[in-house]
Amino acid sequence: MIARETLAALTLGAVALSVRLLWPDDGTLYFAMLVMIWSIFALGYDISFGLTGLLSFGHAAFFGMGAYAAAWTMQRGGAGFGTGLAAAMLMGAVLALAFAALATRVSGLFFALMTLMLGELVSLIMTTRLRGLSGGVDGLPGVPRPDWFGVDFFENRHFYWVVLALFLLTLLACGLLRRSPLGQALLAVRQNPVRAGQLGLDVALHRLIAVTVSGAFSGLAGALLAGLMMYAGPQTLGWRISGDVVIMAVLGGSGTLIGPVLGVVLVEALREWLSLYTQHTYGLIGLIIILCTLYLPRGIAGLWKARA
Amino acid sequence: MSTLIIGLSISMLLFLLAAGLTLIFGMLGVINFAHGALYMLGAYLAFQAHATFGSFWPALIVSPLCLAAAGLAIERLTLRPLYPRTHEFQLLATFGLILVIEEVVRVVWGLDYRHLTPPPGLTGSVALFGSDIARYRLFVIGFGAAVIAALFFGIERTKLGLVLRAASVNPTMAATLGIDVNLVRSLVFALGAGLAGIGGTIAGPLLPIQLSMGFTIILDCFIVVVIGGLGNIKGAVFGALLIGMTRAFGQLYAPEWIDIATYVVLLAVLLVRPQGLFAAKERLA
Repeated sequence: MIARETLAALTLGAVALSVRLLWPDDGTLYFAMLVMIWSIFALGYDISFGLTGLLSFGHAAFFGMGAYAAAWTMQRGGAGFGTGLAAAMLMGAVLALAFAALATRVSGLFFALMTLMLGELVSLIMTTRLRGLSGGVDGLPGVPRPDWFGVDFFENRHFYWVVLALFLLTLLACGLLRRSPLGQALLAVRQNPVRAGQLGLDVALHRLIAVTVSGAFSGLAGALLAGLMMYAGPQTLGWRISGDVVIMAVLGGSGTLIGPVLGVVLVEALREWLSLYTQHTYGLIGLIIILCTLYLPRGIAGLWKARA
Repeated sequence: MSTLIIGLSISMLLFLLAAGLTLIFGMLGVINFAHGALYMLGAYLAFQAHATFGSFWPALIVSPLCLAAAGLAIERLTLRPLYPRTHEFQLLATFGLILVIEEVVRVVWGLDYRHLTPPPGLTGSVALFGSDIARYRLFVIGFGAAVIAALFFGIERTKLGLVLRAASVNPTMAATLGIDVNLVRSLVFALGAGLAGIGGTIAGPLLPIQLSMGFTIILDCFIVVVIGGLGNIKGAVFGALLIGMTRAFGQLYAPEWIDIATYVVLLAVLLVRPQGLFAAKERLA
């Protein structure tokens, strides 16, 4: 089980590396970076959902605010890219902690509704009240990329290494977390909160930790996306983004290490591929989501597990 | 006075949707994310019916009936296989439905705003208590009140309502007593969808018909049902009034802040009473 997970993660890493080495054209690299960034987001999301069982519909807030935090520290604070990423993780974590503190008071479906509405509240405040900070509908163009060692990271083939490194680090961190005592405790909280409590685990605290860590990774992903697109905007705060990450995690196989990544690959590839043939990408993806919830309850990763 | 009327008409609209949402939750245990999309579809169908028949009244019949039929199909095809699974699958399925419905509407009606005119006789305004009040809003309030009355009568006083309540409180027991629970579930979803169709139709002359109208209103409806207690239809009446009035009076005194204010009301309620204001000891609808 563990060996297979490691193998799968290594395969993913090898694929990501070979993309850079074998197909270094700009379009492919951009697509692969997009997939890796969304994978960081989905991996982070699944710490909350797959591991701890908290179905959040508000993760766009952590993602989008991460993008903004990075843009602010770099554009206004004049800080470097590393500081920007750190600020984004901090922003994601703090916001997630606040969401969790409010939303873990209610359970089950109410948690989903509560996080959805908190996320919309953040989006609303940013787009209507804090236009000066958020740039309003236009967003903040011109988010910089790193300028380490005199390398020109505005070239996608160079920026790729940054994204790849952070993607692999996230994958490693999530893999380690899942096997750590903390990860096991979170799993226990998901499977049976009452029993976990009686075993002496502080269920409320573990839920807070899970959402906070999840928020930090979401913020990181948001900052990287801002770096990739050189833009931070209010669209990344919207509910569709929250919905997208849930879809990716569940389609890929929530609760497994590589499931969320497979989900991202599937959804992004579908989006890319379908848009070549039809304009009705969103509707078709909706149809695929419905079919997958009906016939693929454990996601793509589950398919593979069932066969083995 | 006119603000009160506006508030009441918004409340009626919210109630029509929240009632469907809460009935579906009470009976099926599903939060229907696609309820706003159904409402939007209802508005477009009403527009189409209006264009075809040249009058508002056929639209008020055709659109809810079409929605009810669509609801039957949706329940049979996508939700029924998912009841035994955990809630997230039902949420995801209805989320997928949003995308499909929006796509259908985009293909059929395009991206332009559409508008419905109120039926002749309901245009213009009347002077009432010293202020001008749009006739159509008065109609919305009267019609909404009639639907609420019919709904309460149906659930509380008729045989069908009894069956519905029984199947919602204890499906297994109801099934043992010979009630076809699956059929009841289909009917409740169809009823909820039909109510969304009515909502969409009567919203047509009040608001521009556009793709994003569904999501805008569904968030308010979530707030309504959460405040009232999910699965509780009396709570939905109260929540709809609260949010409708907050919107109408907020528009008057602090238009910049109404959206944020409704969320603050909601957060306050949830923090004090996570189960909703009316959930205590009330049975599910």
